[in-house]
Amino acid sequence: MNPHAKLISTMSLIMGTSITMSSNHWILAWTGLEVNTLAIIPLISKSHHPRAIEAAIKYFLTQSTASALILFSSLTNAWSTGQWDITQLNNPTSCLLLTMAIAIKLGLVPFHFWFPEVLQGSSMTTALLLSTLMKLPPITLLFMSSQSLNPALLTTLAISSALVGGWMGLNQTQTRKILAFSSISHLGWMIAIIIYDPHLTILTFALYSLMTTTMFLSLTQIKVLKLSTMLISWTKTPMLNATMMLALLSLAGLPPLTGFMPKWLIIQELTKQGMTPTATTITLLSLLGLFFYLRLAYHSTIMLPPNSSNHMKLWRTNKASNTPTAILSTLSISLLPMTPLITTMF
Amino acid sequence: MSPLHFSFYSAFTFSSLGLAFHRTHLISALLCLESMMLSMFIPLSMWSIENQTPSFTLVPILMLAFSACEAATGLAMLVASTRTYGSDHLHNLNLLQC
Repeated sequence: MNPHAKLISTMSLIMGTSITMSSNHWILAWTGLEVNTLAIIPLISKSHHPRAIEAAIKYFLTQSTASALILFSSLTNAWSTGQWDITQLNNPTSCLLLTMAIAIKLGLVPFHFWFPEVLQGSSMTTALLLSTLMKLPPITLLFMSSQSLNPALLTTLAISSALVGGWMGLNQTQTRKILAFSSISHLGWMIAIIIYDPHLTILTFALYSLMTTTMFLSLTQIKVLKLSTMLISWTKTPMLNATMMLALLSLAGLPPLTGFMPKWLIIQELTKQGMTPTATTITLLSLLGLFFYLRLAYHSTIMLPPNSSNHMKLWRTNKASNTPTAILSTLSISLLPMTPLITTMF
Repeated sequence: MSPLHFSFYSAFTFSSLGLAFHRTHLISALLCLESMMLSMFIPLSMWSIENQTPSFTLVPILMLAFSACEAATGLAMLVASTRTYGSDHLHNLNLLQC
């Protein structure tokens, strides 16, 4: 892609995210969301492959609809309350419309159908941006308006997202789709707690972004797009396969890895609020995700030495070191003992 | 709800239903998206007159500018889909199914 166009797209993404996150007025928030949508379309469709174009069309239609719904919900709220403040969303119809619009933006069930397809059609780096950076402005809007949203609706969205994310990820062999469904189920966890403790949503989102970025960067480095490629990828960088296994188990939420921290804190807060059936259901549903994470981890490490194998490690490697992947995978494996510190930071 | 607000509400609702139930062509979806934006432009323009706040006059223009950018992006996607798939029929977009 033309470097100038890439620079403009990337700077517009950062600018759009900053605009939405720093706004108090609905119109400014909508503007930031629109700028984000417009800026990422060239990044999705830059390879001009039919799959990329299809992904870009689907992304554009869903995100534009969601932005229009957000603007309309703020308009109806302004008609009934006379102000455009994001934290003062008091009209019930507006709250319902806003929740549905943010669900479309984030890819929550039942509006999740676009997300695996769009991730599959874009390159790995763009898929990383779509999973982490593009989810940040909608989560910010939900965080700011969380006190007036409908708890039953949000809990329904959360549990069904965890269910569908785990269940539909079981039949996937393409790694981008597996990460898409993992993203859907993590978003379910984030939405489950937003009414009771919005700061836990932000903490879950930060840790989820950390672990997802680790996974995407590791998969990009060894160029693994499907499960069968994962089996023979150990010849490139054996250490990366070992750390990728730990990163996957961290995404699954196993102690003593980092991914356990958000789940632990969310279950604790839900139980304190008397939502024990919700906590039990959502925990049991994340077992479905554990299955496909384990399968991916198995494929990543089963061929490693000292198992008998018919390949030696490739001795001509073209990439000497990859510092961001190393730092992020270390963080995503070993951050659990710092839970008290991180809880005070959010 | 006053009749005026009801008319804007129903204009937006019908446009969004048109977007949700579009069947064959991508361009009908883009048209419905544009009519959603138009049905929000008129209430925003009336807001600054009704509430006597001249500082709000910029907002419908800003909204119109962004919806024009969005329409342009939609048309670029239409052209891209015609170049790669041969038409804008939506049932051609089935390469990425699970």
